[in-house]
Amino acid sequence: MLEILKKTMPFQVVSDGMLQKIAMLGRRTSYSTGALIYDVGDKADDIYIIVSGQIEHMLEPGAQARRPVRLLRGGDVFGWAALLEKHPHRLAKATCVEAADVICINADDLLRLLEADADAGDVVMSRFATMITQDYTVPDLIAQLRHIQRRQQHGDIRGMNLTLYRISSWLKSPRPYQMLIGFALFLGFWYCAVEVWKLPRFREMPGLTTVIREWLNPNPTYGLSIYTAEYYTHIWISVWRVTQAFFLATALGVPLGLFLGWSKKFKEYVFPVFETLRPIPILAWVPLAIVMFIATESAVIYLTFLASFFATALNTMLGVESIEESYIRAAYCLGAKRWQVFLHVIVPGALPFIFTGLQISVGVAWFSLVAAEMVSGQYGLGYVINTSYIMVRYPTIVIGMITLGLVGYATSMMVRVAGDFMMRWRTRELALGGQ
Amino acid sequence: MAAGTKRFFGSKTWRGAISLVVFLLIWEIGSLSKIWIKWESFEWLRQMLTAFGLKPIYLPWIGAVPAPTEVLMAWTHIIGDASYWQSWYISLLRVISGFIAAMIVGIPFGLLLAVSRTAYGIGFPVFEVLRPIPPLAWVPASIIFWPTQELSIGFVIFLGAIFTIVINVVGGARSIDLRYFQAARSMGSSQWDIFRRIILPGTLPSIVVGCEVGMGITWNVVVAAEMISGGGSQVGGTSGGGLGFFIWNSYVGGSYEQVVIGMISIGIAGYVSSELLRALGKRVTPWLHLR
Amino acid sequence: MMAPEMQTTVPRNTASHGEIIIDDVVKIYDPDGAAVMAVDHCSLQIKAGEICMIVGPSGCGKTTLLNAIAGFHEITSGRITLDGKVLCSTEKPKAEPGSDRIVVFQNGALFPWKTNLDNVAFGPIMQGQLSAAEAKEKALDMMADAGLTGVEHNYPGEVSSGMRRRVEIVRALINNLSVLLLDEPYRALDSLTKSVMHEALLEIYYKNKVTIFFITHDLEEAIFLGHRVAIMTTRPCKPKKILEVDIPHPRDYSVLTSKRFRELMEETNEAVHEEALKAFSAGEKEG
Repeated sequence: MLEILKKTMPFQVVSDGMLQKIAMLGRRTSYSTGALIYDVGDKADDIYIIVSGQIEHMLEPGAQARRPVRLLRGGDVFGWAALLEKHPHRLAKATCVEAADVICINADDLLRLLEADADAGDVVMSRFATMITQDYTVPDLIAQLRHIQRRQQHGDIRGMNLTLYRISSWLKSPRPYQMLIGFALFLGFWYCAVEVWKLPRFREMPGLTTVIREWLNPNPTYGLSIYTAEYYTHIWISVWRVTQAFFLATALGVPLGLFLGWSKKFKEYVFPVFETLRPIPILAWVPLAIVMFIATESAVIYLTFLASFFATALNTMLGVESIEESYIRAAYCLGAKRWQVFLHVIVPGALPFIFTGLQISVGVAWFSLVAAEMVSGQYGLGYVINTSYIMVRYPTIVIGMITLGLVGYATSMMVRVAGDFMMRWRTRELALGGQ
Repeated sequence: MAAGTKRFFGSKTWRGAISLVVFLLIWEIGSLSKIWIKWESFEWLRQMLTAFGLKPIYLPWIGAVPAPTEVLMAWTHIIGDASYWQSWYISLLRVISGFIAAMIVGIPFGLLLAVSRTAYGIGFPVFEVLRPIPPLAWVPASIIFWPTQELSIGFVIFLGAIFTIVINVVGGARSIDLRYFQAARSMGSSQWDIFRRIILPGTLPSIVVGCEVGMGITWNVVVAAEMISGGGSQVGGTSGGGLGFFIWNSYVGGSYEQVVIGMISIGIAGYVSSELLRALGKRVTPWLHLR
Repeated sequence: MMAPEMQTTVPRNTASHGEIIIDDVVKIYDPDGAAVMAVDHCSLQIKAGEICMIVGPSGCGKTTLLNAIAGFHEITSGRITLDGKVLCSTEKPKAEPGSDRIVVFQNGALFPWKTNLDNVAFGPIMQGQLSAAEAKEKALDMMADAGLTGVEHNYPGEVSSGMRRRVEIVRALINNLSVLLLDEPYRALDSLTKSVMHEALLEIYYKNKVTIFFITHDLEEAIFLGHRVAIMTTRPCKPKKILEVDIPHPRDYSVLTSKRFRELMEETNEAVHEEALKAFSAGEKEG
């Protein structure tokens, strides 16, 4: 049925998802040669789509069509009077001249469906309009086509409802199960390679079961599990360092980026110095940082800060530069002064990029932090991994790595959620797009 | 002709040059604060610094850094030194081999994830869970696993680049306008045709971006790996080689000017490789760079 | 010349201001040294309170004129005045953007991060003419007047593009403007929405007699809406033919099938088509 729908004028450009929903509304019927499908004046409730056969469609004189009689075949749509306002009744007589198979769709149901996706609905209705004008040659009637009302309730799906809706549709898709397969494959391979097949390369590696047992052990052999306080101390210290560095980098990087993007002069002065320092890998700064900052703690935070700072400033600058010129021009037209344009257009306009930058910034912060901790730390997850290796506590290495992954992911997600919250206008727009 | 020189002097280049000079000046003056500030006379300054836990013999932070002039002098010495250039060579070799390996595996893997929804569903979550783990955290595991140190460093470099490349490839393929596919199908293209003529070229810009970003990460990882294996911790073997090792060695040996030289060298190397990659990228995607 | 207008409602602003005189304007771009003349000694007079349609093929330079009036681009020589006040001239090539001439953009420029209401209230608040509360109240009024109830607290991304255009026009009108500059605003809309937009625009025009400077490539749209239609040559841009549309206002959609309309179309079709062919063979990219 989808194939037929796709061939028709009104539904040609509709997405597959929407087409399926429309198809579900369709009922198949057949007519024999000579049968009367409907006559002028009948109540009009269904739209018809021809699958096969031929239908003669004769518009009444009152419709003032240039070509009142048409012979319709497979792929043609008729019965669109059901879509008109004000007590729709049939404007034509439809007779079957050759045994025909048709699909009927109730117009009210269809309209309700179209209102759920107002943009697609608008397109479909306008294509009906074109069809009525061009094929049926009654342009005067298009003014009577019913308008798609934008339902307000989509605007009301906020917060919790939206999340629940997304979760339920996610669970219905094959995705959760594919995900499980993926993890099963990965973990399975690890398990088998080390503990079952005992592959040569993997001999020294800690096995999956060893790691898990250690991790969940109230009395861990190597001193670190979810039950030990020390574990959480290390996590906390690493997180605290990243937080400090991240906020410092954001506080300095975002304004710098905004000015770099906004003022050409400023950029010409400052950007060359910025770009000269940026390519230097963060870790190349380690010795210098140790020399500059006597306290190891500040050195570590400085290194973490540096990486985030460059990423944030650069992305913010790109964000400002990518704002559509017309927004800025419109603001000036409407009488805004330079600082008002900055506050009301530049800052909100750059927010999407800024938040992408912040997500990158968090990732980069963890990267630098771990390196810095491995080289010169006393606590923290990087330090844990390092010392575990030295002290031949291999399972703890993996525990450290897994923890890093989890915590890193969590911080990234927090930034993303904060971004979604601040840019509600964007999430609503994307949600209505049916994503 | 006159207009051209006017443009040069008026503006952009000049301003950039000025700020660089200002930057160097501040650096120079700050570093030499050991010398030109008469510390004996400024009792209050010394007390303030001590109160903050800083050394009362130079300006905080900047004072500890060698001055540009000192760095320049050290550079003239080291240019003739063969081992310095060898460090360049070793680092470059590591970067290139690790990066190419990452491309060879990453690009096809990314394309696979983008093309097949099942592959994506299975592979992407695992990928996303492994991604937040910083590459350097893999170093010990890598050393345990691989027989030689070179391979373990190479593996870490490979990991560092591959995540970025894959993410960019997947993102790029998914953002190809649906209508290109529809157009191709309506003209009767086979699946393979579609892959070769739409997906590949359509993803190319994102592949290029992924490579550029990945290159930056690669340099970071190389430096870190070289520093770690060369010193600072026991994680590693005997020799390191490479610019990272050079920096660490210089630090341990107390010649801070060389440390700065090393930093600048790596900066230059990283910048040059990114630019080369970008130029290559432009060659490969000419349609993006029309006037 | 122009048939007497038959008005059914008393206009809000009297049509005593909004007269634009474009006097011998030349605009030469210099992309990488190859001087490109976009506007070639163009002179045009737009009367206060009239709807002046500018028709021409894509890329012919008509947007350059609009940008010059609005103050986004410089002119190379010539002069543009608004009610006698010089906007830009050879001595002062770039006009100051201001709220007496507001642009409605081709792809829409409603701020996506503000609600429709906040968008409309933006102008008066920025200029400090009204307090935030007063501005919002006035905005609500004007939106209701334009038939836009129910969408005030939505974001632009949540409503249809036709609706967005209308909000954008109200956003412009709420300020005391003399000229409304429209840069192919309905180009991206489908024909059904377009017809609705045309009638909406005329309704708004009848209530607020501002001068309208409307760029389009659609001749039908031009003749339907405008008092005068200026057909421009392909790049460089210059008025080729000026048509007085003597169909009386207020107009509605029945005008489209009237005999006079068809006659006017026939008169001008050839001129437009000629320029379109020239632009096509020159391979012009759309502005």
